[in-house]
Amino acid sequence: MLRGRMAAGAVQNLFSVGRKGKMAMAGFVILCFFSMLAVFAPLLSPHNPWALGTPYLPPVKGHPLGTNDIGQDLLSELIYGTRISLMIGFLAAFLATGIGTAVGLLAGYLRGVVDEALMRLADVFLLIPTLPLVIVLVAYLKPSIWNIIIAITLLSWAGTARVVRSRVLQVREMPFVKSARALGAGSFYVMFRHVLPNTAEVVFAKASLTVAGAMLTEAGISFLGLGDPTQKSWGMMLHHAFSHGAVVNGYWWWYLPPTFCISLAVLGFVLLGYAGQEEEQGARRGPPV
Amino acid sequence: MQKLYLLSRLGRYVVAFLLIITLNFFLVRFMPGDPLIHLLGEESYHYLYVHEPEALEKLKAEYGLDKPLPAQYYAYLANCLRGEFGWSYRYGQPVFKVIGFRLKWTFALLLPAIIISACLGAYLGALCGWRKGQQPDIILTPLSLFFYTLPTYCFGMLLVLIFAFYLDLFPLGGVVSGNVFGVWRFIDILWHMCLPLTVLIIHNTAYNYLIMRNAVAQARTGEYVLTALAKGLGEMRVLFGHVFRNALPPLVTVVALDFGFLLAGALLVEIVFSWPGMGTLIYDSVMARDYPMLQGCFLILTICVMLANFVADVLYALIDPRIKEGEAVA
Repeated sequence: MLRGRMAAGAVQNLFSVGRKGKMAMAGFVILCFFSMLAVFAPLLSPHNPWALGTPYLPPVKGHPLGTNDIGQDLLSELIYGTRISLMIGFLAAFLATGIGTAVGLLAGYLRGVVDEALMRLADVFLLIPTLPLVIVLVAYLKPSIWNIIIAITLLSWAGTARVVRSRVLQVREMPFVKSARALGAGSFYVMFRHVLPNTAEVVFAKASLTVAGAMLTEAGISFLGLGDPTQKSWGMMLHHAFSHGAVVNGYWWWYLPPTFCISLAVLGFVLLGYAGQEEEQGARRGPPV
Repeated sequence: MQKLYLLSRLGRYVVAFLLIITLNFFLVRFMPGDPLIHLLGEESYHYLYVHEPEALEKLKAEYGLDKPLPAQYYAYLANCLRGEFGWSYRYGQPVFKVIGFRLKWTFALLLPAIIISACLGAYLGALCGWRKGQQPDIILTPLSLFFYTLPTYCFGMLLVLIFAFYLDLFPLGGVVSGNVFGVWRFIDILWHMCLPLTVLIIHNTAYNYLIMRNAVAQARTGEYVLTALAKGLGEMRVLFGHVFRNALPPLVTVVALDFGFLLAGALLVEIVFSWPGMGTLIYDSVMARDYPMLQGCFLILTICVMLANFVADVLYALIDPRIKEGEAVA
């Protein structure tokens, strides 16, 4: 109950008036648009994206964005691609945020040896370059959306853990936490009941940026040809377009729409997260993702 | 104290590096199937399996795969430290040699991009952070957010379409056209470099701009700024003489810390422009399932990223007097 109310409060703060509010609102509208696309994909797309037809069509009547190398309708592919791209982004960010929040909470609240150990571990993970590791992992584990999600999660939790920890360090010194402890509340009770809800805003902002990062990574490795070959995502569309010479032949209708969708969706998440992040500077440095 | 700080950082790199090597080691050995498949390539493995099984046994001994795991691990570690990352079956050359050649081209693209965009981002970010919410800021901030979220390879494809395909001002890709030598070769390379470099500079500048803007906006609230203004210093003098210096450490560290991120952007851009660097090498290795090469690339890139991080630590210790004097910095 309380936790829900706090989260709702965080969301409300985000849309508060001013430029940041506008930014957050813009991000929210963009995300609503893409969520609708993903949910109603079967109703919105003019064709079955897997149905074969005439290959390499430019935009014509019936195929507003033309067709790909095996004659699948590109607009339908684009709409269905929203599902996979968003799903990978959300799932990876959900897992990473869960792990990161737990680690940050434990490290920040318990301090001492636990803090040292967990933060050193996070530092190590922050050192590893994301894209090359994901490439190697996915290449060995065979491309599938689950492997991509696991690989992205593995490298995204550390950033969240650091951010959450620095917020927890502030919260644990607040009077109400101290009084709860003085009343004899156990560590875990205080942590989850009192400290966690007060990190909601930070967690929410960071989660939004993690989705953006995950979507970019997914698009990157799919573009490299390590995407799930059985699924349609925006990155996979770019990969097929690029490997079939769409760039050198000027088939702009093949790769511009997915480009546009990726950047717009990522921008949506970044706007949402950035607006939340700007609320309080200090502990965090630097820009999104 | 400074030394102690750097030493503790160094410890982290060693742990991270060992972690990567261990991961590489186990990926090869615990995947389903004979580990030799990943070392020799499927084609030659199956050929040997059918025609010369005894040669396969010999190779197994050569790679040390018949020894117990700890001995294998030790041998692998020693090989890695000596720079022997294995044999690329696709290129028929040692992995290290191929990577050494390719790395050069990646850095030819990446280093100018990093330096130019750091200066550009620092300058623009400082100006806009100082006058947050005013004229240049309200245009530049949304613009940089946009360029920041636009993946580099998408941006690259866009530029190819406009400037190479329709306007025909720049080549579609590659690094040099044939039959040019001497100075002309150098100019030709620069001409080929224009588009990919533009992509990277704009992307990285957008990123640095956002950091610098926030850092300056935060630093300008300090009381020393008010003092400096009160004693009659000009605005620009306060900004570049006082605030700039205080806002610089975050930028320097972020540029170095996010080296991996910039590197990833460069790798993907290379593919679009068929630039013969690490990015195209990884792309080709993925296509050909050249596992030793992929692992080698990964190791080398990780080492580069760690080096960049170490440079960041050293720079930070030099710039931030608090570390110099031994104060703890969280």
